Amino acid sequence: MKNNIKNIVVVVSFIMIIWGFMFANILIPDNEFSFSERRRLITFPNYSLQKLLSGEFVDEFEKYSLDQFIFRDAFRGLKAMGKYYLFNQKDNNNMYIINGIIEKMEYKLDEKSIVNAAEKLNEVYEKYLKGKNVNYAIVPDKSYFIADENGYLTINYDRMLELMEQNTRNMKYIDLFAALSIEDYYKTDIHWRQEKIIKIADLLLNEMGNDSKSSGSYIEHKLYPFYGSYYGHAALKLQPDNMFYVTNSIIENAVVFDHQSNTFRKVYNLEMFDGMDPYDVFLSGAKPLITIYNEECKNDKELLLFRDSFGSSIAPLMLEGYSKITLIDLRYISTDLLGNYIDFSQDQDVLFLYNTRILNNSSTLK
Amino acid sequence: MLFSSISFIYYFLPIVIMLYFIVPFKFKNLVVLVSSLFFYFYGEPLYSILILISSLSGYLHGLWIDKSRKSRYAKLPLICSIIFSIGILLYFKYADFFIENVNWFFNLNIAPLKVVLPIGISFYTFQILSYTIDVYKGNAKVQKNFFSFAAYVSLFPQLIAGPIVRYTTVEQELSTRSHTAENFAYGVSRFIIGLSKKVLIANTLGELGRIFSNLDERTILFYWIAAISFMLQIYYDFSGYSDMAIGLGRIFGFHFLENFNYPFISRSISEFWRRWHISLGTWFRDYLYITMGGNRVKTVKWIRNVIVVWFLTGFWHGADWNFIVWGLYFGVFLILEKFLFNTILSKLPAVIGHIYTLFFVIISFVIFNAGNMIECIESIKGMFGFLSIPLCNAETIYYLSSYGFMLIIAAFGATPLTIKVIEKIKYSKKGEFIIYVLEPIVLVSLLLLITGYLVDGSFNPFLYFRF
Repeated sequence: MKNNIKNIVVVVSFIMIIWGFMFANILIPDNEFSFSERRRLITFPNYSLQKLLSGEFVDEFEKYSLDQFIFRDAFRGLKAMGKYYLFNQKDNNNMYIINGIIEKMEYKLDEKSIVNAAEKLNEVYEKYLKGKNVNYAIVPDKSYFIADENGYLTINYDRMLELMEQNTRNMKYIDLFAALSIEDYYKTDIHWRQEKIIKIADLLLNEMGNDSKSSGSYIEHKLYPFYGSYYGHAALKLQPDNMFYVTNSIIENAVVFDHQSNTFRKVYNLEMFDGMDPYDVFLSGAKPLITIYNEECKNDKELLLFRDSFGSSIAPLMLEGYSKITLIDLRYISTDLLGNYIDFSQDQDVLFLYNTRILNNSSTLK
Repeated sequence: MLFSSISFIYYFLPIVIMLYFIVPFKFKNLVVLVSSLFFYFYGEPLYSILILISSLSGYLHGLWIDKSRKSRYAKLPLICSIIFSIGILLYFKYADFFIENVNWFFNLNIAPLKVVLPIGISFYTFQILSYTIDVYKGNAKVQKNFFSFAAYVSLFPQLIAGPIVRYTTVEQELSTRSHTAENFAYGVSRFIIGLSKKVLIANTLGELGRIFSNLDERTILFYWIAAISFMLQIYYDFSGYSDMAIGLGRIFGFHFLENFNYPFISRSISEFWRRWHISLGTWFRDYLYITMGGNRVKTVKWIRNVIVVWFLTGFWHGADWNFIVWGLYFGVFLILEKFLFNTILSKLPAVIGHIYTLFFVIISFVIFNAGNMIECIESIKGMFGFLSIPLCNAETIYYLSSYGFMLIIAAFGATPLTIKVIEKIKYSKKGEFIIYVLEPIVLVSLLLLITGYLVDGSFNPFLYFRF
């Protein structure tokens, strides 16, 4: 009798699950984007006899069925829990979590990539920067602070710095590794926290020979909740971050010119906080070429900041030292084209500021 | 189509179950046939015609064999059937292997045919052969309904990765079979367990294998971890598939025979092969080994029989030399065990037999997993410290700590311990009730967890698809 009841429960549960999800997947409209994964989802594939016979339709349908599965994020979370807690695995899709800090494991140092990055810096120098005060600094990723002590793999940072030093020419290295700590980064995002890197801006200005000091007179503004880019990758319910952006009269009065769209904006674009990547609040996110104008600056100095996304939040903090900061993202604009947009004959300081992951994957630098 | 896919679990299966249980019994085989052909067409659109041709050939040859039973040429239709089936298998699976080796041996330059291997061809060819041979021997009645025969050949639960279901196993059930809640529940339970073995364990161990393949710096310890991991992966992959096949078969009223019986607890290689891929082992035993005289012949002939059977067993697994070496490797062990090892092992503690078996089975799967013989030799050299590599490094320690628990679960799960514990609880006073309550909860939880793994993952190939 008990066995019969159990059998019926098993059959009914199974049927309800497979039929329920089938009908739900068919009836509920597809999503266009996954905000947690920050990507466009695959839509139902176009059908043709040729695609069907070649197997292309089936391949696309398989991907579609994964992307559009109802409660996809919840199921991804279930899998993450299975990996971490049931099977005691240390990472899930290379993501790991330590005290609420989410980090992606990157552990193979690509020496060729580092040399290529150094050569790219040299190429820019040779083309445009001769005779200027040229500096470079590297932003360590979070792994630098937490991986080793928790048994996770990291790239060999010493070797990376050694390769950069050996292969860069005519530029000065500014060390940020010693000045940063894990508290200076968001827990759910790859980036550093703007309110914590005022000291880094000071350090950079000082090391570049600019005697302005940026710290001391900022007002902090809180944005909450900030779900960083790693939050969705981790797929677990974790505490979101607070995001702070800082202002003073210089930042408030500064204007940002986007060379691509020929438009002016403010330094912070608060509308972006509700978008796909809230970190785009800083300078409206990734842009090939933008210039921040600081009318309040007493000197005519310009800073050319070759940067990745880490540069977006630190550039406003360096405005006190410069009347103009031009941010160049070589991932989106080719080195050869820079001369068309930037007048390199001016009095300019130069800073190459890249995080370790960009250097380790430097083929993205054009 | 893969069993371990969203498209199968949440589109194909619910629709097929719905149709199958709605239609009256006389149409059920038709539903099975049409859905099986769709199942095959989904993964192999162009080769769907091949499975129909093979089915038609088996069906017609069966009729011919039956009709010629008392004539002087009774063997002719059987020979034709074997030539046709083996011919198709040779062309689609082995043609390029032969061309490559003829080119190498005679220094020729014959262009390869580049034939794409039809999924499951080795399995359904052997099933058709079992049918015609059994009809010839009088062990099975001829099937006069083509749809029923085609439904047997293309039966989707076991179509593409076995087990090799003989016609005699399902002969009765093709015409009459019962559908009960007990069968259905058993089928669901077995299907989910197989799915868990595949998705949660085999795929995770497969990740470890991929990591090992991509390492810049390998270590002796990682060579061993990869070898053990692959042995467990292929067990969970293939036995998981067999569980799913048996479970799905049961949902639709078919009783397939077991294909695995805890092979890693064996105390000899002979015992291992009585527990591993049972349907293939018994196929070769019944249709080839015994036909050649089995062990009722002189020693030299017996050795010949063993070598031929194991050469073909290896070759069945793949058109490459490492598979042939793998098969012969086992053949040699079976001969050695008969003449020497069995006597020695019987005098030693059981644990020695287990260690001996596991050690040589691990090595066998290194041979099996190698892309070619050079890779195979390199792996064995790596395991035994003949390459200039360190014993261990940080990567090895990391992946051992990350996958260690999974390896332990996989190792324990490959023994009867889990079942014994469940049985023990079941036979206690309150245990039976606890098990009855827990079973549906565990099954549903596993199904949802598997869905999570599938939705999030992309690494999901079945190792036995290449056979």
